[in-house]
Amino acid sequence: MLRIESLDAHYGLFQALFGVTLSIAPGETVALIGSNGAGKTTLLRSLAGALRVRADSVLLDGEPVGGSTEREQLSRGIALVPEGRRLFASLTVHENMQLAATNGRPGVWSIERVLEAFPALRPLLSRPATALSGGQQQLVAIGRALVCNPSFLLCDEVSLGLSPLVVDEVYRLLAIARRDGMAIVLVEQNVRRALIESDRYVCIQKGRVVLEGISASADRHAVAQAYFGV
Amino acid sequence: MAGIVELLINGLLLGALYALFALGLSLSLGVMKMINLAHGDFIVLGAYLAGAAMSTTGWPALACMGLVVPAMFAIGWALQAGLLNRVVGTHELSPLLVTFGLSVVIQNVLMEVFTANTRSLPSGDLALQGLRLGEVSIGLLPLLIGLVSVALYAGTHVLVSRTHLGRQARAVADDPETARLVGVDARRFFALMAGFVMAVTGLAAVLYGVRTPFSPTAGPERLLFAFEAVVLGGLGSLWGSFAGGLVIGLAQVLGAQVSTGLGPFFSHLVFLVALLVRPQGLFGAARH
Amino acid sequence: MNNMSATANSPAAATVEPNARQARGHHLRWVVCVAILVSLATLPLYAGFATQRLLVEVFVVFAIATAWNLLAGFGGLVAVGQHVFVGVGAYALFVVSNTLGLNPWWTLPLAAAAAAAFALLTAWPMFRLSGAHFAVGTWVLAELVRIAVLNTETLGAGGGLPLETLRDFTRLQRNAGVYWAALVVGVLALVTARQLLTSRLGLALTAVRDSEAAARASGVSVQRAKVTLWVCAGALTGLAGAVAYMNTLQVSPDASFGLGWTAMAIFIAVLGGIGRIEGPVVGTAIFFVLRESAGQFGAWYFVALGVLAIVTMLVAPGGAWSLVLRRWPTFDPFAMRRWMP
Repeated sequence: MLRIESLDAHYGLFQALFGVTLSIAPGETVALIGSNGAGKTTLLRSLAGALRVRADSVLLDGEPVGGSTEREQLSRGIALVPEGRRLFASLTVHENMQLAATNGRPGVWSIERVLEAFPALRPLLSRPATALSGGQQQLVAIGRALVCNPSFLLCDEVSLGLSPLVVDEVYRLLAIARRDGMAIVLVEQNVRRALIESDRYVCIQKGRVVLEGISASADRHAVAQAYFGV
Repeated sequence: MAGIVELLINGLLLGALYALFALGLSLSLGVMKMINLAHGDFIVLGAYLAGAAMSTTGWPALACMGLVVPAMFAIGWALQAGLLNRVVGTHELSPLLVTFGLSVVIQNVLMEVFTANTRSLPSGDLALQGLRLGEVSIGLLPLLIGLVSVALYAGTHVLVSRTHLGRQARAVADDPETARLVGVDARRFFALMAGFVMAVTGLAAVLYGVRTPFSPTAGPERLLFAFEAVVLGGLGSLWGSFAGGLVIGLAQVLGAQVSTGLGPFFSHLVFLVALLVRPQGLFGAARH
Repeated sequence: MNNMSATANSPAAATVEPNARQARGHHLRWVVCVAILVSLATLPLYAGFATQRLLVEVFVVFAIATAWNLLAGFGGLVAVGQHVFVGVGAYALFVVSNTLGLNPWWTLPLAAAAAAAFALLTAWPMFRLSGAHFAVGTWVLAELVRIAVLNTETLGAGGGLPLETLRDFTRLQRNAGVYWAALVVGVLALVTARQLLTSRLGLALTAVRDSEAAARASGVSVQRAKVTLWVCAGALTGLAGAVAYMNTLQVSPDASFGLGWTAMAIFIAVLGGIGRIEGPVVGTAIFFVLRESAGQFGAWYFVALGVLAIVTMLVAPGGAWSLVLRRWPTFDPFAMRRWMP
């Protein structure tokens, strides 16, 4: 169980998150909804260890893990797929995943398993990672996080800039991960998609949680209001 | 004709030594995005360490490499872990100024301990022997240095392209933030890299000490040659630094033909002109 | 204006209105300033040659350090090769004065102009570089010029040149004259720095230093700001160099184009406080106190200096002045702070 308790986050003098409290149970998919600058990426980065926060504001199975390094969080099973894919241009597709796999935990996910799910990636293995299409890069980026065998996969805007068909492929990969019991936190600008793909949703506005609930029974109107801050 | 060929070969072999100086700097600049202004002084330090090792153990210079290289690795690691990791990424000027202070410290400590006299590492017959290819005569020592330089560059190339360490290095050079996200421990990795850079520098130092007379204040000039080689070759290109070193060496040997003191002048000039004409270097990626 | 300040401060807080306090501080500054200047200007009347020569060094080094501080602290340009201007200024003075038989004191402005011209000429190649590359690039430039001068017979090659036109003056005249020239250079450095930084250029530079991208987006001509800074720093350094070698009567390539000048400037700026006009003032004082008291320890003195610089960057990157500010946050001896109406 990943609990976030009164999380405050700062970039220098600027405060991005104000007392955010939420929890993610093993195996569930939570959607983080909010407009640009609401603090969604900041929240994911705080969980992944990329941002220094108070130790007891992030609790993994009761243990305070806030402020740990990315490597420590990775070994605890928290992996982040960063916004904008951020594949390493000087490495091939294979090397991108190899690097992560060597640093990650052992488990069911391997490079081979990613390729079994998406055989189209196999001939692209020795290409420089950024020489792929946007959708292919996104699959590799998610695969790169999956081979670390996390228990909590944090996905930041994985459908950004992709066509609907490609977005389906991306979510197909995430569905496979979900079937393995992986918990997923989805940051999605596409509210409709986010609600379909998640069990619960949390709306964030200007660094604060303003609305949350069960996705299946979400009131679209209330969510839209929370999104736009009306 | 034979004279010109000899000249060119000498230039290239001198360049190969400069390429060795540049190897460590190239990795440092490319991966850690940091320049150690004391780099040249560490080369000189390595030469003095080799001298001290030789007089204590009585071993020949090349055998003392086995002592100097690990010692330099440890120094590099300790320096990065203890000092430079604290200033990487803080103030933009900090690494430059801290390493500048380090340069002054090293030069003056060497001066106090070893006096300001110029010396070189005894090499027995090696420095005197030559190889004859037809009409052309090449010194054995410079040739050896050339071969070591190529071997070291090839070895580093393999390390960078085939090993986990190399993948980490390339990833950190591309995007340090995301590299951390895939589990690269920045501090430990930088310390390891710094150790490797210093080890390579130590190897270059022994060869340099055998080939050229050195003194405590010889460091800064080595840094300049190494830096010029790296930038000429193009940032981020390993073999580019090798090529850059060759160019610098050639320029110096040819320049010395015009007038004995003007060798370095010509390499400096070539560097500045190349910078104006092609700032990204011979093999540098334009995206930098 | 009076009403606004009165309402801005709660009646209970200030017993003296801010304007009056400002005016008092203003007067105090002027009194102290004039007192210091008068005592310094009349120094040749009561102090010996040794003291005069030392102070010439102090003022010259202060000017060079201020120039370096302007470049590094405000322009973000670490010029490890700044000493090229020292040599250019010194040689310009010697060559022009000797060849044309001009009074060296009247030739000083020409030396400064020569250094400024050199800076303008080298701005384009140098500014193709940035960061560490700029730092080492300026160093390469300095080496280039040094070796060129070293190999030029007409410039005296390795032995250098004497300043022949100084022979027309008595020792008393020479020492006092060079001392006053140095004093002018020191004051000029301080005044130039202050004017530069409180001007629009200064604001632009602070913007560039804080965020170059943001500054450019706001319309600041980053390139023009940097070049202006480079030329000003070059001219100041050249002038200081010219005076420095008037003091020694002889200029040579290894000395005048030596890294030692920049090293001193860097130590002073780091120890005193980079990016603050008060930094070089404090730094120069610290540097010379250290030198006069510990200089006999030879190379160990330099080791200690280097270690001190490293420790300062780690522990107090803002230098000694930052420590002063921690204790007295509003201390502003050079009236740098702008009051918003």
